[in-house]
Amino acid sequence: MKRALYITLNEVRLYLQDKGDLAFSLLLPIVTFALIYGAFGGRTLFEATARVVDEDGGAYATALVQRLDAADGISIETLTSSQAEDKLDRSDVLLVLYIPAGFSESLLSGGKSQLVFKQRGNGGQEGQILASIVRGVAEDMNQEFQVRADVAQNVEGKGVPEERIGVAVEKYLEEERQQPFVGVAEELVGGSADVINQYLPGIVTMYVLFALSLSARVIVEERRKGTLERLLTTRLSTGELFFGKFLAAVARGFVQTLILLGLSYAVFQMFTPLTFLESLLIILIFTAACSALGLIVASIARSEDAANWIGVVFTMFMVMLGGTFFQVTEDSILHTMGRVSINTYANDALRKVIAEGASLGDITIPLVVLGGVAVVGLIISRLVFRAVPGGK
Amino acid sequence: MVEEFVVVSDLQKSFNEHKAVDGVSFSVHKGEIFGLLGPNGAGKTTTIRMLSTVLVADGGEITIGGHSMQRESAAIRSIIGVCPQELALYDDLSALDNMVFFGRMAGMTGLEAKEQAMANLKLMGLVDRAKGKVAKFSGGMKRRINLAIALMGNPQLVFLDEPTVGIDPQSRNHIYENILGLQKKGMTILYTTHYMEEADRLCNRVAIMDGGKIIAMDTPHQLKSQIGPPEKVTLEEVFLRLTGRSLRD
Repeated sequence: MKRALYITLNEVRLYLQDKGDLAFSLLLPIVTFALIYGAFGGRTLFEATARVVDEDGGAYATALVQRLDAADGISIETLTSSQAEDKLDRSDVLLVLYIPAGFSESLLSGGKSQLVFKQRGNGGQEGQILASIVRGVAEDMNQEFQVRADVAQNVEGKGVPEERIGVAVEKYLEEERQQPFVGVAEELVGGSADVINQYLPGIVTMYVLFALSLSARVIVEERRKGTLERLLTTRLSTGELFFGKFLAAVARGFVQTLILLGLSYAVFQMFTPLTFLESLLIILIFTAACSALGLIVASIARSEDAANWIGVVFTMFMVMLGGTFFQVTEDSILHTMGRVSINTYANDALRKVIAEGASLGDITIPLVVLGGVAVVGLIISRLVFRAVPGGK
Repeated sequence: MVEEFVVVSDLQKSFNEHKAVDGVSFSVHKGEIFGLLGPNGAGKTTTIRMLSTVLVADGGEITIGGHSMQRESAAIRSIIGVCPQELALYDDLSALDNMVFFGRMAGMTGLEAKEQAMANLKLMGLVDRAKGKVAKFSGGMKRRINLAIALMGNPQLVFLDEPTVGIDPQSRNHIYENILGLQKKGMTILYTTHYMEEADRLCNRVAIMDGGKIIAMDTPHQLKSQIGPPEKVTLEEVFLRLTGRSLRD
């Protein structure tokens, strides 16, 4: 066992000595994270830009635009009337909201006002959703005007200062916004709709697989250098050699994934401390399973090229069957086939923990499967190993 | 009474249908430098791999230092050192780190390994390069480190597989002196080389292999005397007469 640890330490030392490899492997998780952040960071399921022509410029027009801007997934692009016409003519946009001149003044004087949608055709699917959101915001503003008007009417002639009425009404409206009489609750079925929660497990597990497909070369590299034969003539047993290589591969893959998950924890705040630790445990066991499979490849490959190719093909196969980029429906053939992919078990476990806050008890089966693959893989890799290709 | 440190009897090894080693028998005396010579593909490397526990023989028996290869290969690994033909070194590590690592693999503590590594580096004339990265060493320096590593753990038997290939005469001469020095300390050495004058100079006895079999075995002097006056015949002439002049590989 002590000699296995020396092998691990030597691997780590060699890894630290190779500055290029070190930089690549430590930067890779950061770059991967940056790509994830760029692709999914802060996104909700619906994102759209509302084009607004504010011909009014008054207080209520500004308030309307601010409320729209505050809505989830909506950003605002302010256009002049002529810009809007051009874009509509060219079909660059399908719907534009016009706030007509006199909008605020009319409301201030207790009158009615009208917003206008100019659209090509039906405004497109995105335009229709935007129009619904604008109608919702306008409806909220209507109700608030109604409340103010009712209060003003009820206290009229009772000597209540106008300023005090205004403060009381605003306070009441704010409470209503925070705790509406009729609220809408969301109950998630099948996990969070958050895209990060949806895709991060697959990206993390794919990442571990790719990193470890590189470790499939460890034995071939030792053979090429001539150090394998030398090691096998020392007191080191073949079992110790494999266990040492296995620990080194697990450590390397785990540290890289730790960086990726740590950044996700810090930036996306998608974990609780407990689910973060649970995720690390899943990744540790998954990395062990991948390392053991990588060692089987390392044992049977006769050249570094062969090891690379077997590793890449294996990785792609596991990633595709593991539902990394798409949800696999339960009754499909792909779902049945996916049971042979270790990614399936790691992805299932991670999604349950990240999206549903599942406890370790809820993911016992995937953890046992992955742990089993690690143990059996390590044994098989030792059994199929030949110090000299063709020998025994 | 000569003590036989290595006893090999009817050793067999095949790869698929090819018989690489076919009924090889020989013994090496304790403290002897025994040369295993032969053209490429003669079965020398396969024989050494079986003797050094890397390959399992298909048949025959090997006993080293009184330990049976079949039953006590771990014990055999604790008394042998191997200097392979390839430069079996970690280029990214220093000479000292390479030696300490293999010293630990040979069962030494960190301190013991470091002390012996420094002693071996001194022996090889490389003590001032102890902390230099092996990748920056010359071919001769790497060969000397390769040999120095084989001596870690104070083995009783050392396999030297073409330890002087591709280096300058100065480095080669330095290695010769070291090998003779090791013999004086009682170490048993099994030596393979393609340089016949080297075998003639260093080896007490040599075995010439061809086609997986030993075709001659004796002292260089006796082998030479079989074809003429030993002072006028070279070992290379003996070798070519026994193995023929046709090209191999």
